[in-house]
Amino acid sequence: MTSEADTAHVHEHHWEWSWAPLLVVAGTFFLVPIAFAFYFAYENVTLSAIFAGIGTVMLLAGVSMWVNEGLTQTPLLAGVANIGLPIFILSEIFIFLSLFSSYWMMRLSIDSWPPEGTPEIDKILPIIMTFILVGSSVTAHIAEEKLEHSDLSGFNKWWIITIVLGTAFLGCTLWEWDHLIQMDFIPETNAFSSAFYTITGFHASHVLVGIGAFIAVLIPALGGRTNKTFVTCVSVYWHFVDVVWFFVASQIYFW
Amino acid sequence: MSTQTTTAGHAATPAWKEWILTTDHKRIGVLYLIGSMAAFAVAGLMALIIRAEQMELGMQFVESGTEYNGYLYFHGAAMILAFLIPGLTGFAANYFLPLMIGARDVAFPRINAFSVWLFYFAIILALLSFVIPDAPDIMWTGYPPYSITTSANTSFYVFTVHMLGFSSILGAVNFLVTVIYMRAPGMGWNQLNIFVWTTIAAFVLQLIFIPVLAAAVTLLLFDKYLGTHFYDPSAGGDVLLYQNLFWFYSHPAVYVIFLPAVGILFDIIATMSKNRVFNYKAAVYAGIWGIVGISGIVWVHHLYISGMPDWIRLGHMVTTLLISIPVGILTLSLWGTLYKGAISYNTAMMYAASCLYLILLGGLTGIPLAIPSMTLHLSETSYVHAHFHFIMALFSAFALFGGIYYWFPKMTGRFADGPMATLSFWLNFIGVNVTFWPLFIIGKEGMPRRYWDYEMFKDAQVLGYSFEDFHKVATLGALLIALGMILQFINFIWAAKNGKPAPANPWNSKSLEWTHTASPPGPGNFGDIDVEVDENWSPYEYNNK
Amino acid sequence: MKKLLSAMMGLTGTMMLSGQAVAQDIRNPAAEWEELWDIVIFDITIIGVIMAIAAVFFLIRYRANSPDQVGSARKLTTVQSISFALIPAAIFMADDFYLAAKGWTVWNAYRNVPEDAMEVKVTAYQWYFEFEYPDGTLVEADMETPIKIPVGQPVVFRMTSEDVIHSFGLPHYRVKEDIMPGRQTYVWINPIETQNTAILQCAEFCGEAHSQMANLIHAVPQEEYDAWIAEVAAEG
Ligand code: HEA
Ligand code: HEA
Ligand code: CUA
Ligand SMILES: [Cu+2]
Repeated sequence: MTSEADTAHVHEHHWEWSWAPLLVVAGTFFLVPIAFAFYFAYENVTLSAIFAGIGTVMLLAGVSMWVNEGLTQTPLLAGVANIGLPIFILSEIFIFLSLFSSYWMMRLSIDSWPPEGTPEIDKILPIIMTFILVGSSVTAHIAEEKLEHSDLSGFNKWWIITIVLGTAFLGCTLWEWDHLIQMDFIPETNAFSSAFYTITGFHASHVLVGIGAFIAVLIPALGGRTNKTFVTCVSVYWHFVDVVWFFVASQIYFW
Repeated sequence: MSTQTTTAGHAATPAWKEWILTTDHKRIGVLYLIGSMAAFAVAGLMALIIRAEQMELGMQFVESGTEYNGYLYFHGAAMILAFLIPGLTGFAANYFLPLMIGARDVAFPRINAFSVWLFYFAIILALLSFVIPDAPDIMWTGYPPYSITTSANTSFYVFTVHMLGFSSILGAVNFLVTVIYMRAPGMGWNQLNIFVWTTIAAFVLQLIFIPVLAAAVTLLLFDKYLGTHFYDPSAGGDVLLYQNLFWFYSHPAVYVIFLPAVGILFDIIATMSKNRVFNYKAAVYAGIWGIVGISGIVWVHHLYISGMPDWIRLGHMVTTLLISIPVGILTLSLWGTLYKGAISYNTAMMYAASCLYLILLGGLTGIPLAIPSMTLHLSETSYVHAHFHFIMALFSAFALFGGIYYWFPKMTGRFADGPMATLSFWLNFIGVNVTFWPLFIIGKEGMPRRYWDYEMFKDAQVLGYSFEDFHKVATLGALLIALGMILQFINFIWAAKNGKPAPANPWNSKSLEWTHTASPPGPGNFGDIDVEVDENWSPYEYNNK
Repeated sequence: MKKLLSAMMGLTGTMMLSGQAVAQDIRNPAAEWEELWDIVIFDITIIGVIMAIAAVFFLIRYRANSPDQVGSARKLTTVQSISFALIPAAIFMADDFYLAAKGWTVWNAYRNVPEDAMEVKVTAYQWYFEFEYPDGTLVEADMETPIKIPVGQPVVFRMTSEDVIHSFGLPHYRVKEDIMPGRQTYVWINPIETQNTAILQCAEFCGEAHSQMANLIHAVPQEEYDAWIAEVAAEG
């Protein structure tokens, strides 16, 4: 196994730099820790909202700059992002495993399950959601195929369908949460509600990030610019989110 | 094919942008170095306050127990998470790993910049502790239920861990891909520097175990602020769950620190004794990867007094003791590298030599702790503090400082050695012994940790002296270290501008970062050379016997 | 190799015994701890001294005579490399098993509570301990008002917490164990002689007054204990 870099006779004579990483980090910093702390620890909703606003703007600016640079600059070594992503996914798997094992620990050491205060949770919806998500994985794959055959408009079409399906999935989660909260099943209720909201919420946050990534690919693609590695990465990530859902559904709803 | 479509703006970039916004691995490395040293200085200052407070019975320096706890929290968390891990896997790995494997940069330079910024913002978040009301006071371990019921702002602890953790995970992705795909043509796995091996081993640990810590602290956040019940036994949760998840990460984390430090040590010692690494393959495959292999199944040794089932405690006693095998094989390789060497002495080598003592003292004092029946008494005493200050705080920090002296000519084109460096080395070395030996002695007699006062021991005598006497000696030692460190920092800053100029390869090393680059290396590292090595090349091949 | 074998035999032996530890002969964990400490310290000191001497010797003996001298160590052959890994590994492992077996025996002394032990219930709060004696008497203590236990009588403390995690640390008896909400843990001690300096201290970080959470435990003759408990009970 040798480096492919030597094929490119690289003699860079200037220092590389970019605003994008700093902006993304700063945006996240204001959007998550600072806004959270003001809301929950210091109970100042106004400041929390202000910081969340600043953070969102910085985050969006950073991401769009990043995408733009990703599309215009050739990396030192092309096509390794789809090696890096699976490595990253490995660590995601361990997060989900830790959450699941916390849930198992609680569940297996309790006398009767579900604990008191748990309403009947509808089992039809998760099945519908499974179909939606699996469908979106398929459409993402079709979009990739289209791109493979240089059919950019076909790609855009299927990519948009995927986004719609992803959003529908997220809508289902939100609807379900709303429904359950009205039945007084909130994170505080009991051990099951803790695990329920944490795990479905953590999964939903991945769906959200996935949709964000889809949009980040879509916007330049509508203008005719795209990058195969980027597309592959996003869809691999999406398949991963899809696979995790099987575990979420089977452990939370059908066990 | 050009790697870079040069945009017009690049031509006249101001220098500050090329530094602050850099995506170059060397400059990112320097940013890591500055950040981690700043964290060390602040956390070191906290250590001095701690020592000042413990010097005498009663309350002298702090105004309340909570204030002391806040300082101790910052000291522990910042030293581990913001000084050593970023110093070793951020600075040293970033700057030197690509050079050592003949790569022009890492695989994902922008993600690399992203990591360093996460690190900086995490430090900012941690430093905010000093200005916000209700600063975290939960110790670096953050055990619930205390961390949930306290009025302090646990969320900053959680987010600091999240940001540093995410930064490390991305670093892991970056460096693993870099080492797999960007080695110079011809460079086989058995030709890597030991430092490269230890770094990727450390990153493998980070990749697998950080998520577990991230989950643990996230659940803490939810329990405290959203009212979930993961750690709340009255509603079906489990108090020990957090400790298990936490140590499942944090034991391997000590090897994330230990391994790169050992790697630096190997490189210094091999270079300074102009000798090949003794039993390279055993060191790599049995030593380094042996540690990685065992590290995930020993965490209960931090829970020996936590009421875990007896059989788990005994099982983990055996696995913990077995760690001495891979570590022992590594130490044999270190010792063997000196054997029949041609050792020349300079500041880097002095640090390396002192590390041999520290690894023995710190590692072997871990053995009594590994035996649960011993730990029932030793746990949560200052004996534990002495153990881990020697192996972690001192061994790894000394290896890092040795590395800085070793690579200083590469980074600045100048030597940092000189009378000032020698003096600060001896102050540090004597200081750490004076500080932490007394903690062993009173720890064995029961001096508890995390105590800002020890009134109940006012009559206790060890060897005819009171606990207070020992604490006084320890404080004196801390002052010596402080003096040594301040001199050291002054020396670094001075030498970077005025030190004796150094040639590109002042130590006559065989390793690529010395043989193929200028000091300091320019953009793209190797200028117009395309690095290539043949199968007989090795970073440690000084003779061909 | 012989050492390795005997260590492993020792280990399996203890493993089999540990389940059915002998309840009749009452052991004294604190004394056994002290013996084990000596053994372990002796063991690691030997290793440390040998390694340290070797290091110092190498560091002095192999100094370079001239700046361009290089080291003269040879490449190891495959057999040599493997032997240099396996033989030390076997020796280290033998030592590990030896220490594990020793540690295990003492562990049994710590964990097997004698049948006739007096049972005291402990509840920990931020920041004090509350004791419930067998007759139901509740005692709260601090550094000025010690609690008492009868000498020559094993005592087992069954512990739980009402708020956060604390720890029941008794350096004099070389033992400690955490006290947690929602769980019960135990510690037993064997006070073989009268003394009035043993300190009970909280050893798990529990907040602001963690370092003030302590009291004395006096081991006193039976009569004195009886008188004391009667007095406390009367005070109610
Ligand atoms: C870099 C960091 C680092 C390293 C490398 C180690 C290495 C080891 N540590 Fe340490 N440890 C810490 C950092 C570290 N530790 C920290 C931070 C804590 C406290 C955390 C907290 O509570 O805040 C801690 C606490 C800690 C505990 C828990 C104590 C308690 O809280 O109750 C234990 C118990 O087993 C332990 C054991 C060991 C062992 C057996 C090793 C082994 O890896 C050591 C192996 C090395 C040798 C043995 C020496 C060299 C080998 C030879 C010469 C071969 C021959 C030797 C033999 C055959 C014995 N450590
Ligand atoms: C990497 C880890 C690391 C390092 C390097 C250190 C370094 C030191 N530590 Fe720390 N320590 C920990 C990790 C570390 N520690 C941890 C994890 C804990 C446990 C926390 C817990 O219980 O939760 C702990 C706890 C701890 C305690 C226990 C407190 C208690 O139980 O109540 C004590 C007490 O003596 C102590 C002392 C010291 C001292 C004197 C140093 C000295 O070596 C420090 C010397 C450094 C300086 C004095 C800085 C000097 C430098 C400058 C001033 C720079 C000037 C700057 C410029 C010119 C830029 N430490
Ligand atoms: Cu109770 Cu510490
Ligand atoms: Cu450990």
